[in-house]
Amino acid sequence: MINTGDTAFILAAAGLVLLMTPGLALFYGGMVRTKNVLGTIMQSFIMISLISIEWVYLGYTMSFGPDVGGVIGNLSWFALCGVGTAPSPTYATTIPQVVFMIYQCMFAIITPALITGAFAERVRFAPFVVFSLAWAILVYNPVCHWIWGAGGWLAARGVLDFAGGLVVHLTCGTAALAAVMVIGPRESYGKTSFMPHNLPMTLMGTGLLWFGWFGFNGGSALAANGVAATAFTATHLGGMAGMAMWSLMEWLNSGKPTTLGAASGAIAGLATITPAAGFVGPNSAIAIGLLAGFCCYYAVSLKNRLGFDDSLDVVGIHGLGGLLGTVCLGIFASKAVNPGGADGLLAGNANFLFTELFGILVVGVYTFVISWILFKVINATMGLRMIRESEVLGLDQAEHSESAYNT
Amino acid sequence: MNTGDTAFMLVATAMVMLMTPGLALFYGGMVRSKNVLATIMQSFICLGIVSILWVAFGYSMAFGPDVKGLIGNLDWAGLKGVGTTPGPYSATIPHLLFCAFQLMFAVITPALITGAFAERIKFTAFLAFTVLWTTLVYFPICHWVWGGGWVSSHGGLDFAGGTVIHINSGAAALVAALMIGKRQGWGREPFHPHNLGMTLLGAGILWFGWFGFNAGSALSAGEIATVAFFATQVASGAAALSWIVMEWLTQGKPTTLGAASGAIAGLVAITPASGFVSPGSAIIIGLVAGALCYFAVLQKSKLGYDDALDVVGVHGVGGFWGALATGIFASTAINPGGKDGLLAGNPALLGIQAMDAITTIVYSMVVTYIILKGIDIFIGLRVNKEDEIQGLDLTQHSETGYSL
Repeated sequence: MINTGDTAFILAAAGLVLLMTPGLALFYGGMVRTKNVLGTIMQSFIMISLISIEWVYLGYTMSFGPDVGGVIGNLSWFALCGVGTAPSPTYATTIPQVVFMIYQCMFAIITPALITGAFAERVRFAPFVVFSLAWAILVYNPVCHWIWGAGGWLAARGVLDFAGGLVVHLTCGTAALAAVMVIGPRESYGKTSFMPHNLPMTLMGTGLLWFGWFGFNGGSALAANGVAATAFTATHLGGMAGMAMWSLMEWLNSGKPTTLGAASGAIAGLATITPAAGFVGPNSAIAIGLLAGFCCYYAVSLKNRLGFDDSLDVVGIHGLGGLLGTVCLGIFASKAVNPGGADGLLAGNANFLFTELFGILVVGVYTFVISWILFKVINATMGLRMIRESEVLGLDQAEHSESAYNT
Repeated sequence: MNTGDTAFMLVATAMVMLMTPGLALFYGGMVRSKNVLATIMQSFICLGIVSILWVAFGYSMAFGPDVKGLIGNLDWAGLKGVGTTPGPYSATIPHLLFCAFQLMFAVITPALITGAFAERIKFTAFLAFTVLWTTLVYFPICHWVWGGGWVSSHGGLDFAGGTVIHINSGAAALVAALMIGKRQGWGREPFHPHNLGMTLLGAGILWFGWFGFNAGSALSAGEIATVAFFATQVASGAAALSWIVMEWLTQGKPTTLGAASGAIAGLVAITPASGFVSPGSAIIIGLVAGALCYFAVLQKSKLGYDDALDVVGVHGVGGFWGALATGIFASTAINPGGKDGLLAGNPALLGIQAMDAITTIVYSMVVTYIILKGIDIFIGLRVNKEDEIQGLDLTQHSETGYSL
């Protein structure tokens, strides 16, 4: 039976999640140098096109189609064959299946867009498009099936992920790590400092991301009910606490709280609360957000010492955030909050924490290996990086023949 | 009354409202920095002007009791009798909510036209144009198509405003660009967009709002809203891809402006069809829209009219393709309340769609011409040459966009 309230809510939530990708484009775009702003924005924007089409033909059926051995969905829903306006018997039974499908499409779009921050300012457009498509097919779709698809093997072992701590944030963060290792640092990285060219743009992007995240986490309840309200509240509290903690750490360590720090802390909190949002109460959400601000702040400081040019901190914020959030889920989850979830360590069930750790290990290793191979193969065949002169000239001119600001 | 439908339409109404500021940024980034505020203002002020017209008499003209299929009478002027019980257009939401949802469409339509005469129109002339055009062109055409007027009675389909909004604004834009003339220096010096990041932000907000525009046009949170929502996403995705592929093939590089323009072209084209077609059809409609509008935009420099921000090429051509595409791809298997199109064995629908589109174009062009001619005589359309060179921000609004 279709419920109009649930349908209305998930339609709105799908719109909200779509808005996160342009929001991310601005978040990243403001942090790069002027000569790369359009190239950076484009890498997020074009995912909206590329992945939507991939999702219709392959992504949805691979992720959510009839299960093959717990590993992948088969291709019987190719081109959305049989996916109509009647509710699915398996997923979200009170809304048209097409609504569930388009809602999930928005998650598939933003995940490869998140990776782009790691190799910002130095990758050519054509190999980037090829990588993103291959990554969506070989990494996102299988991992999504394992955890959210009916019959997926990690789900069968009890691994929970409310809105994408593993499926979205850990995968993109791990792929980002592989990217940084294969592609290497930007020209003159470490010798000159790269200042963000437009911080108000980054803050505008943060605002849009935060707004959209209510659809991302709240909508993951797949109905307009108490779980959605729990997730919505936890999301806000997680983002808020992440921002507060990151700003405080900066204030204590480097003397001034920065706007970039506030934005990064908010995103860290939001990414970290994502896997736990519908399974934890408000006090746990605040604790998780504070922990996120603290850990991600130090993770980002660490990259300079390790010499990794993860340009826009995908590993430190999304990778670590997704990992930490999943661990926290294992600790703070409570059936008193959501009877459909699980009890975690604090509710006396240590086994659930080990299950979540197992999920992290599997998803992390699989994503890293496949992403690393993909980057290596594309690098060997097409070449990932721009030539040195082009990199100095900037992505906007070299790859798109445009310039962002003209007076 | 259904609370789910009401919740959905409240959200959809706010999303369509957000499209007008989104459009302001989309256009604002494409002009030169000396005209950014004036360009944004032309969209923003439509939120003011049209809202007042709508309450005073616009809603009644568009949706009030029909007079000979041509126009609504003034029984609902001042929203008399338009209350919180469901009205004749939607049984499950308050009548006032339907009125608010439709208002947002009326707001964005004249704002779309402003791209054609950007960077050179007098603000007073623009205000007069917006009042007259909304009253004499938008309200009647809206009535013909959606208010029980003659177009709807002979069976044309327009799900969310391909004819009423996009063909209509595109046709008016062509007349406006021709009558107001080219900008100083057009064709001799290149006019670079001053802030493409702003344009891309605008495109993102438009895309988001368009879900309210198209899915909300189902007027309820059910199957049809879903069909429209999904068609909207894939058509615009396909159009953005086909536009940049065309650019890549013909000019060597895919541009961000092309991705944004392509996405909007796809959104425009799918608008009339969105609630009537399958996802596969939506992708085809989008792919064609991206390529077609790309080539349409290239024609303006050959034909020599200065449609500054490509309203004709994107909204006019995209809207016209969308109207025809609805006639080709519409299917009662997708929406039993719709009609079958050419591919489902009913070529007559394609003919009706073409006729409705052409009627709209002719009416819109003629009345727009008369309005602009009148304004040119009494107020003067253009700023003088010095003011144009100095920029509209300073000369029309005594402001500057950036003080860096």
